[in-house]
Amino acid sequence: MFQFDTLSLLFVFLILIGAIPNIFYSYGYLPHIERKVHYQLHYFAFIGSMIGVVISANALMFLLFWELMSLTSWQLVLTEAKKKKTIDAARFYFLMTHFGFLFLLLFLLIATDGNLELGFAQMQGIVGRFAYPTLLFFFIILGFLSKAGAVPLHVWLPYAHPEAPSPVSALMSGVMLKVAIYGLFRFLFDVLYPWPLEWGVLILVIGSLSSLVGVLYALSEHDIKALLANHSIENIGIILIGFGMGMIFESMHLKVLSSFAFIAALFHTFNHMSFKSLLFMGAGAVLHQTHTKNIEKYGGLIKAMPVTALTFLLASISISALPPTNGFLSEWMIFQSMLGSSNLDNTSLKLAIPFAIFALAMTGGLAIACFVKAYGITFLGLHRSSNAKHAHEVNRLMRLGMILMAAVVISLMLFMPFYIGWFDRVLTGLGHLSIYDKIFPDGIWHMHSVAIHGGVVSPLFLLAALIGITALLMYGYKALHVKERIHRTWSCGYRTSARTQYSATGFAGPIRRFFGWLYKPHEHFSKKDIEGGSGKFVDLHYEVHIKPLFEATLYESVGKAVNRISYWIYRFAHFEQIRYAAMIFNLTLMVLFSYRIFAHQFSWPTLAIEGTIMLISIKILIIGEKR
Amino acid sequence: MTIYLMTIAILLLIAPLLLSFIKALKMWLLYKKPISIFQGYRNFSKLMQKETLVSQEASIITRVAPFLVLSPLLATLLFLPPVTHGAFYVSFVDAFTITGLISLSTFFLMLLGLDSASSFGGMGSSREAFIAALVEPAMVLTIFSVSMMAGDLGVGQAGANLTAHFPKEHTASFLFAGISFFILLVAENGRIPVDNPETHLELTMVHEAMILDISGVYLAIVEAASSVKFIIFSSLFASLFMPFGMQFGFLAALVIFLAKLFLIATAIAVIEVNTAKLRLFKVPNLLGIAIVFAFLSLITFYVLGA
Repeated sequence: MFQFDTLSLLFVFLILIGAIPNIFYSYGYLPHIERKVHYQLHYFAFIGSMIGVVISANALMFLLFWELMSLTSWQLVLTEAKKKKTIDAARFYFLMTHFGFLFLLLFLLIATDGNLELGFAQMQGIVGRFAYPTLLFFFIILGFLSKAGAVPLHVWLPYAHPEAPSPVSALMSGVMLKVAIYGLFRFLFDVLYPWPLEWGVLILVIGSLSSLVGVLYALSEHDIKALLANHSIENIGIILIGFGMGMIFESMHLKVLSSFAFIAALFHTFNHMSFKSLLFMGAGAVLHQTHTKNIEKYGGLIKAMPVTALTFLLASISISALPPTNGFLSEWMIFQSMLGSSNLDNTSLKLAIPFAIFALAMTGGLAIACFVKAYGITFLGLHRSSNAKHAHEVNRLMRLGMILMAAVVISLMLFMPFYIGWFDRVLTGLGHLSIYDKIFPDGIWHMHSVAIHGGVVSPLFLLAALIGITALLMYGYKALHVKERIHRTWSCGYRTSARTQYSATGFAGPIRRFFGWLYKPHEHFSKKDIEGGSGKFVDLHYEVHIKPLFEATLYESVGKAVNRISYWIYRFAHFEQIRYAAMIFNLTLMVLFSYRIFAHQFSWPTLAIEGTIMLISIKILIIGEKR
Repeated sequence: MTIYLMTIAILLLIAPLLLSFIKALKMWLLYKKPISIFQGYRNFSKLMQKETLVSQEASIITRVAPFLVLSPLLATLLFLPPVTHGAFYVSFVDAFTITGLISLSTFFLMLLGLDSASSFGGMGSSREAFIAALVEPAMVLTIFSVSMMAGDLGVGQAGANLTAHFPKEHTASFLFAGISFFILLVAENGRIPVDNPETHLELTMVHEAMILDISGVYLAIVEAASSVKFIIFSSLFASLFMPFGMQFGFLAALVIFLAKLFLIATAIAVIEVNTAKLRLFKVPNLLGIAIVFAFLSLITFYVLGA
C-alpha cells in the first residue's frame, strides 16, 4: 500500500521542509481567517494528502490521495469566499485540476488493466504490451502538467494562487506543484520506461515555452501574488527543460549526461520550493499589512518591515539565478547539461538545443528585470499609498516562518553537495549510474560539469570571496570616517512625492513595448485639461491591461465554440412541429436516395441531381427564410 | 602567484586610466582640447574627500548597494585569464559564473536606482533592466560557442588553450563569436550607441540616471565599479579573441596585453565618435545582431565545422 524508496523519501523530505516553516507562518496568519476550523482541517489534510501521494505504492492509493490533495486545496482557495473573483478562481481551479485527473485516471485504468491495486512495477509489464505508448505519454503529460502549470495548461495559476490565503499559496506554489513533478518522475521511470527521443524533445519544448511565457506575463503583472504565480510557471518550465534534456540524453544512451540533467531538475525542484515559498510568505506579509495586492500601492516598506524585506531580497536574488545562491547553482547545472548537447550525433538536435539555451538565458535576464521591479517598487522608495505608510512588521510567528524558510534557502546553497549526493542516490535507485564522484571529483568544494569541456563552479569560494571583499570595502569605508548628511532627493527643484516616482507599469514599460506583439495591451488613457489649455491638466489616468495570449485564444475560443454548439442544440430543440415533420420527410428522402446510390447503382449524375434536390429541400423546408 | 597578484594590481590601477584615455581620444578626434588621461584618478580622489549626501527617502539599500555593486566585479577580476604563459590562474570559475557575477552587480545597481524615490533613478533602472535582459541570451550563446572552440568553459583555461593552439580550422565561427562579444562589450559598459556615458540628459541616459542621486564616496565606488567592469570586458576580449603574445616572458606579455587593452579602447573611441546614440527601442536591433552572430557562430561550428 505504501512504499518508502529513495524517490518517495526525497519528496517526503521536500514536503516537510516546505510545510514546517509554513505551519508557523500559518499560525501567525490565523487570526485573520474567519473560518478557523475549516481552514485548519483542510490545511493539515492538504499536507497529509501530499505526503500520501508521494508514498503511495499502488494506483488506487495514488488516485485517492491525489484527489484528496486537489479537493482540500480547492477548499483552501475558497477560505475567504466572499468575493465573486475568489469563487470564480476556485471553480476554474477545480475544473482544471479535474481535467488533469481525468487523464490520470484514464492512464492508470489502461496501465493497470482495470485492477487498480497493482503496484507501479507490475504496471510496466502491462504498459509494455500496450500498442500505443505515446498515447499513454500524452495522458501523463496532460495529467501532471495541468497540475504543475506548464504551457498551455498553466492558465489557472495566476487566478487560483492570488485568491488563496498567503500560507496556502506558498504551499500550493512551493510544494503542490512539485508533487506533480514527482508524478512525472515516478510514472516515466517506473512505468513508461524506454522513452523515444520525441518525448524528451516535447518536454524540452514545453519547458522552454513555459519559462518564457511565465516570465513575460509576470513582468506585466501588477498583482504581486499573480506575479509570483506566473514565476511558478517559469520555474516549472526550467525544471522541465532539465527533465527534457535528461530524457533526450537517456534515449541517446548518454547515461552520465542524462543523470546530470535529472539531478539538475531535482535540484531546481528543491530550490524553487524554497524560494517560491519564501516569496509568497513575504508577499503575504506585505499584503497582510497593506490590505492590497496591487504592487502600485506599496513602496518604502523596507523601513517598516526589515525582516520581510531582507528575506524577500534573499529569495529575489535566488530566483533571479544570481551567484552564489542556490537558484544560480541549479540553473548552472541545467545550462551545463544543455552544453552537453554538443556531444550528440544528431545534427538537427544539436542545432535545435541552442534555441532552448536562448530561451533559458532570456528567461534569466527577464527574471532579473522582474524581481528588480517586484522588490524595488514594493520595498524601496516612498510609500505610494496611506496603507503602505501605516504598515509595520508582522507578528513573531510569521517572521519565524519566513526566517526558517530563508534558512532552508541558505542550507540548499551551503550544503549543496549533500543534497546532490541524495539526488544521485535517487537516480541510482531508478536505474541510473551514480555520478556523484564525477560531479565532485576532488572534494566537495568544486562542482564539475560532466559535459566534455564543461565548467566548474565553487559556490562556497564565491560566497567567501564576495563576503570577504564586501566586508573589506565596508571596513575601509568605516575607517575613512566619511561625514554623512541626510538631504531630500534632488528632482529638478521640485519635491519628490509618491506620485513622481517610477511605477511598476512604467518600470516594465520598455519590455512591454518591445514585446507588444505578444502582449497586445489594452491601454486606457484619460486626461482632463484645465480650462483653455491643452498642455496642462488637472487629472490624468493611464492604465494597461494585458490579457494572456493563451487565455484569449485557446481557452476563450473553446468557450465560444461550446457556446455556439449549445445554441444550435437549443435551436433544434425549439422548432415548430411543422419543421420536425419536414426534417422527417428529408431524412426519409435521404435514406431512399442513398440506398439507390450506394447500394443499388452508383453514378455521378444521379448523385449530383439527388444531392441538389436534398439541399434545396433542406434549405426550403428546414432552414427556411432568414429572419 | 606573484605574477597573478601583480596582474590584478596593474589591472586595478589602469582601470580609470583606460576610460579617461577613451574620453581624451574622443575629444582629440573632435578637435577639442583633450582632458588629461589622469582625469579619472583626479575625480576619484576628489570624490573620496567629499562628504556623502544621502537622500532622506533612502533605505539601507543605498548604504549597502554601492559595495555590492563593486565587490562582484572585484571578485571577477580575480578570475580573469592569465596574461602570460604559465602564470597562476583560478581554475574553478567558469564563464557562466562570471556572467552571473556581473548580473549580480547590475542587480544591485538597479535597486540603487529605485531606492531614492527619484524618477530619474527609476527610469535608469527600467532601461538597464530592459537592456540587460536582452544581453543575457547573446552572452550565454557566445560563451557556449567560445567554450567549444577553446575546449573549456573555464575562462582561465580557455584563454590558455586558445593561445597554445589557435583554432585555425574554426576561424569563421571564432570571428562571429568575436563580433557578438564586441557588441556585448559596448552594451554592457554603456558606451555609445547603447548609452552615452557623458550626458546628463534624461532622454538618453541609462547608467548615469541610476547613480544620479548618490554622491561622495559612494559615487566614487560606483564609478570605480564601472571602470572595473570595462577592464573586465576588455581583458576578456583581449584574452579570448586576440589570443597571442602570451608565450613571451612576463614583461613582454604584459606590455602586449596592455597594448591590446588600449587597442580596444581606441576602437571604442573611434566608434563613439562616428556613431550617434541609438534610441532605446532601436537598441534591441543591435543586440539582436549580437544574438544572430552568436547563433551563426554555433551553426557554422556544428554544420560546416569552420
